[in-house]
Amino acid sequence: MTIVTGKAEARRRLQSGRSGVLRKIWDHRADYAYVLPAIAVMLIVIAYPIYYTIELSFFKTPPGLQLRDKTFIGFDNYTAILTSEVFWKVTWNTLIWTLGSTLISFVLGFATALALHRAFIGRGVLRAILIIPWVISAVAASYIWKWIYHSDFGIIGAVLVGLGLADRPPNFIDSVSTVLPSLIVVNIWREFPFAMIMMMAGLQTVPEQLLRAAQVDGASAWQRFWHVTFPHLRNVSTVTILLLAVANFNSFIIPWIMTGGGPSNASHIWITHIYELAFGRQRWGVASAYSVLLFLILMTLGYFYVRALSGNERKEGSA
Amino acid sequence: MSTTAKTAPRGLSRRRMRVDGWRWAGRIFLVFMLLYTAVPMIWMLITSIKSGFAAMQFPPQWWPDEPTLASYEKLLDPQNSVGQDFLRFFWNSLFVSTVTTILSVIVAVPAAYAFSRFSFPGRNFLFFAVLLRNMFPAVIFLVPLFILMRLLGLMNTHGSLILTYLTFGLPLAIWLLKGFYDNIPVQLEQAARIDGATRFQAFILIVMPLSAPGIIATAIYSFIGAWNEYIYAYTFLTKNDQLTLPVGIQRFFSENTTDFPGLMAASLMMSVPVVVLFLVLQRYFVRALTEGAVKH
Repeated sequence: MTIVTGKAEARRRLQSGRSGVLRKIWDHRADYAYVLPAIAVMLIVIAYPIYYTIELSFFKTPPGLQLRDKTFIGFDNYTAILTSEVFWKVTWNTLIWTLGSTLISFVLGFATALALHRAFIGRGVLRAILIIPWVISAVAASYIWKWIYHSDFGIIGAVLVGLGLADRPPNFIDSVSTVLPSLIVVNIWREFPFAMIMMMAGLQTVPEQLLRAAQVDGASAWQRFWHVTFPHLRNVSTVTILLLAVANFNSFIIPWIMTGGGPSNASHIWITHIYELAFGRQRWGVASAYSVLLFLILMTLGYFYVRALSGNERKEGSA
Repeated sequence: MSTTAKTAPRGLSRRRMRVDGWRWAGRIFLVFMLLYTAVPMIWMLITSIKSGFAAMQFPPQWWPDEPTLASYEKLLDPQNSVGQDFLRFFWNSLFVSTVTTILSVIVAVPAAYAFSRFSFPGRNFLFFAVLLRNMFPAVIFLVPLFILMRLLGLMNTHGSLILTYLTFGLPLAIWLLKGFYDNIPVQLEQAARIDGATRFQAFILIVMPLSAPGIIATAIYSFIGAWNEYIYAYTFLTKNDQLTLPVGIQRFFSENTTDFPGLMAASLMMSVPVVVLFLVLQRYFVRALTEGAVKH
């Protein structure tokens, strides 16, 4: 290797664009060793399944996963899905479920974080109790709430009857009109602590002096919140809402265990529906096509997610 | 804006009242949230110490007339079949979660360190690829993974679960740890290297001890994730003696549809390990979770 001065080296790099990239990769070859195990594991378990799902979505598949007998049918699975009535029903449910759970969890979590921001005796204990539902397994949570909603011996029904608000315990999860809101309540129970943790951390970054200055200038509590606190939390809020939205869009356990999608599809959301198509009715091709559609929707959400995250990084870089 | 001396005190007192109003609203709200959070958990506890007959009454017994630990005794007794099953599910969950946790840390630590410190080409792309994984639901991967596991001969083994949990836990584990490494000053490593340490030595001797809280947090996260996972366990395992707790409890319930005290006791015991783990180490955990999204 010839000895070159720093300037000459830089000029040489400028001149050769493409070999420069290769050279940089070569220069950093040892760095890749650190990432390799992670990438290798993920390639096997993620890249291959994605490819396989896309392939299967263009085939008519026999039940029982004898996949050698599959026949190519082009976009038929997709047209079958988009013209079916169940699809629109399930999509509507998913929309209500995702929006309802995400927004209410966020608002409740944010409000709790604000209420917990000022120090008081027992704050740590209260915070710990409020976080517990988030740690408990969704399966346990589903059974706890199934018992609470029980149409004969449920505690809510008993309280309502005891207060004279109902003649007999209502059927929360066996009735078409109440099942989805009832499940959303369970989901929020498990999820608002996450929003709370995120927003509590965010609140700590709001400069105290600014709030004090606003107070001196005569801003009311609401004005201080709206003009000082909230703008500071825009990034954290975006990330939190996106993470919640993705988690809710992808949730499965609560509807699956509590109702299995019933009664008459009233609580089926995309994921439970796909699961039933694949493993219940063994229609692998249709289920795969559903997955690909889901994948496209999530890619769109993912685009915003990455943009929100890289917005954070850029800010940090310039600070 | 200027206020005359006369109106200032009145304005102040009105403001103080307004502030008090907000504070009271906050307190009432917190009480409401506490009830929302705690009542279901307390009801689980109360139900679990009832007899099967006492649970099935209307109006319900708010506190059982004859509290009994029969459900717990039944579940923890290795002599009868219910206890045998439950203890085996518990052990399976413990085994799968522990192995997953150890492997996650081993794989995630170097990866997170590299993402934090090195600027190799493709770093950003890889990092976002890692994060994007977070977006995809388990169900998308379920059918092909089911086939993949059959191909690899891993159906009905704990290996299938460990491999899957490891992969799906990694993105967040790497993200959490990267937040910690970003906060450790590079100068510390540089000082060590000037003193003659290799990059690897600097990593092991300087960075690893400093990032211990991050590693603990990542480990808890992996453990809780694996302990609570349901879909893959439900799909990949069919043999009764292989099941993990979430699936095991579901199976138990589908066979004993009216044994709510037993179900509540089982749910409670399934929750205890993760809740205790979380409460003991929550400081690290909360910090790590927010480190990535909130920059100090």
